[in-house]
Amino acid sequence: MNKDSNKYIYLYSTALVVAVAATLSIAATLLKPFQQKNIEVEKKQSILLSVHKAADVRKAKNKRQYVEAEYAKYITDGFVVNSLGEKQEGSAFEVNLEEEAAKPAADRKLPVFVCTDNDGKPKYIIPVRGVGLWGPIWGYVALHSDYSTIYGVVFDHQGETPGLGAELSTPDFQRQFEGKQIFDAASAFTSVKVVKGGHTQGKPHAVDAISGGTITSQGVEKMLMDNLSAYLLFFKEQQRAQEAERRRQEREKKEKEEEEERALLQAKQAEAARIARRAAAEAAAALQSDTTGAAPAVQSENTPVLEQPENL
Amino acid sequence: MEKESLFSAKNLKLLTDPLGRSNPVTVLVLGVCSALAVTVKLEPAVVMAISVTVVIAVSSVVMSLLRNTIPNRIRIIVQLVVVSLLVILVDQVLRAFAYDVSKQLSVFVGLIITNCIVMGRIEAFALGNKPWPSFVDGIGNGLGYGLILVVVGFVRELLGSGTLWGYRIIPSSFYIANGGVYENNGLVILPPMALILLGIIIWIQRSRNKNLVES
Amino acid sequence: MGDIVSIFVRSIFIDNMIFAYFLGMCSYLAVSKSVKISAGLGLAVMCMLAITVPVNYLLNRYVLSSGALAWMSESLRDVDLSFLSFIVFIAVIASIVQVVEMVVERFAPTLYSSLGIFLPLIAVNCAILGGSLFMQERGYQTLGEAAAFGLGSGVGWLLAIVGVAAIREKLAYSNVPAPLRGLGIAFIVTGLMGMAFMCFMGIKL
Repeated sequence: MNKDSNKYIYLYSTALVVAVAATLSIAATLLKPFQQKNIEVEKKQSILLSVHKAADVRKAKNKRQYVEAEYAKYITDGFVVNSLGEKQEGSAFEVNLEEEAAKPAADRKLPVFVCTDNDGKPKYIIPVRGVGLWGPIWGYVALHSDYSTIYGVVFDHQGETPGLGAELSTPDFQRQFEGKQIFDAASAFTSVKVVKGGHTQGKPHAVDAISGGTITSQGVEKMLMDNLSAYLLFFKEQQRAQEAERRRQEREKKEKEEEEERALLQAKQAEAARIARRAAAEAAAALQSDTTGAAPAVQSENTPVLEQPENL
Repeated sequence: MEKESLFSAKNLKLLTDPLGRSNPVTVLVLGVCSALAVTVKLEPAVVMAISVTVVIAVSSVVMSLLRNTIPNRIRIIVQLVVVSLLVILVDQVLRAFAYDVSKQLSVFVGLIITNCIVMGRIEAFALGNKPWPSFVDGIGNGLGYGLILVVVGFVRELLGSGTLWGYRIIPSSFYIANGGVYENNGLVILPPMALILLGIIIWIQRSRNKNLVES
Repeated sequence: MGDIVSIFVRSIFIDNMIFAYFLGMCSYLAVSKSVKISAGLGLAVMCMLAITVPVNYLLNRYVLSSGALAWMSESLRDVDLSFLSFIVFIAVIASIVQVVEMVVERFAPTLYSSLGIFLPLIAVNCAILGGSLFMQERGYQTLGEAAAFGLGSGVGWLLAIVGVAAIREKLAYSNVPAPLRGLGIAFIVTGLMGMAFMCFMGIKL
């Protein structure tokens, strides 16, 4: 067949396309589970890093097993809430933040992960996502059980400049956030600002911006503000519930104390009454034995016991 | 035609020439794009070099095997398709087994398709030669490219981060923040410095080999 | 709207295809000795980028990305064809280049003859494929954003190549040391210009 004839060209092209498509599809299908696993492990690692776990991942022989084991050990729950703070069906891990960001605020699924630390206290991990200078930035913010104090953060980016915006993924930058609070003393939501001099000037609601990375720093600030404020109703509800629970416990404790006091008082009163009655009975018996005999003394001893319930 | 032995002098020359006199990057000016962007650290530079070498070598072999069957009118398209196929395979494998590095390389793996070295060697060599010499030529050019990448990556990581392959080389105690007098050279990490480093490498190479100097 | 303008201006100065990412260097270095030819090549690349990035955006959105085929049929929602991205993008680019070449040959024969070999070479210009790949990676949300990015990148490439060509033209009359002549000094000059462009990073957009 002539190499340059149209028929040959068509046949050749078709054969080539089919061969290429087949090879690619087979390869992609075979490799997909591995790729998926890598993405999952990375996500788990980030979540763990925000609560200061899985820090030794470099030393681990099998990174995947190490991360999975740590995750299973520390991340004990994950649930989804909506913008009104109500719990929804669904697994927190499966939520794709990019997809959710495209939905209107009222429809978004907001995942929350729960970490149970070695001391038994729960930490709540919120995923965040935003825009840096050159591409998306994202991360996880771990809050103490008061839903206000930050336990730890971890951030990552896709294409920020190394040495400048990319500093947001360094431990030095992230460490600043520990102990900062997203609600102020009056329970108003402040998030955490990322500004020049923010960390040192005693503010519990700000950290230092990245020097030379102004736009990335602003991106981080906006990311925190936007993402955390979506959970406001949930946080407030939890804080309110916690406050209510705290008051309820206090009330119960107080009631129990009062109850105990009353019971003590009653016991004392009953005891006093019993002593008084016995004394009276003894006196009466003594009086009667003067006139009749011993038998009535036994009777009068018993009657006070039966009468007591009426007094109470 | 006489049968050439697999490792004849001619074939060995194919392997060693690109390491110096006909280096694809500094002499033939091919493949410059990705040579600069991925060399911020040494590890991605090496992975990139290996990926490019694999793509050049395998695509050279495939094109050499197909060279007598390709219709002339769609020659470039066939080249593009074969190279794209290999690059996609390399990308998928990296994502499955070297995930962290593939993230650092991001789009530049895809850009291997347009890496001038690949297309250049196919046009200049593989389409007119047998599979084994084409393979050797591919490996040689890949190594030449890799050499430049490793040198630039080495300098940039060492001077810019004080590490090599992620392992700290310049002790932490030297740094100003820890009481010393040293500070990482931030400029070296930024893109323009890679271009200047390449200019310097070319300067050195041409000083040693007068034949390469432009008039 | 502000977003689109911001992306447009950012991709000209801050994300400049040549100075920040080194894409399209090969043809650029071979050609940039003369301002006139560079301008022609730059315009060609700019038009290519402005056309191929939006087209590839549509393909990515409605065919390639995970779940994209849902508009055709709900059962196809799980299909993820993103592994075909490279090959689809490059095929689209090669085809569009072919079409543009034919159009230019027909309507502007002088331009066609001066550009010579470069027109078909634009198909393998890293900058054009790079534009599509960056568009995909950055996940632009609308066609407008993708188009602004494509056009902006093209303008940036044009500016870069014309600028360096002008400098190289003048350099031809200076006393450059022999080993540095030609390629070496071109790299260093481009690096210096890249540094200059970096001051645009401070722009608040």
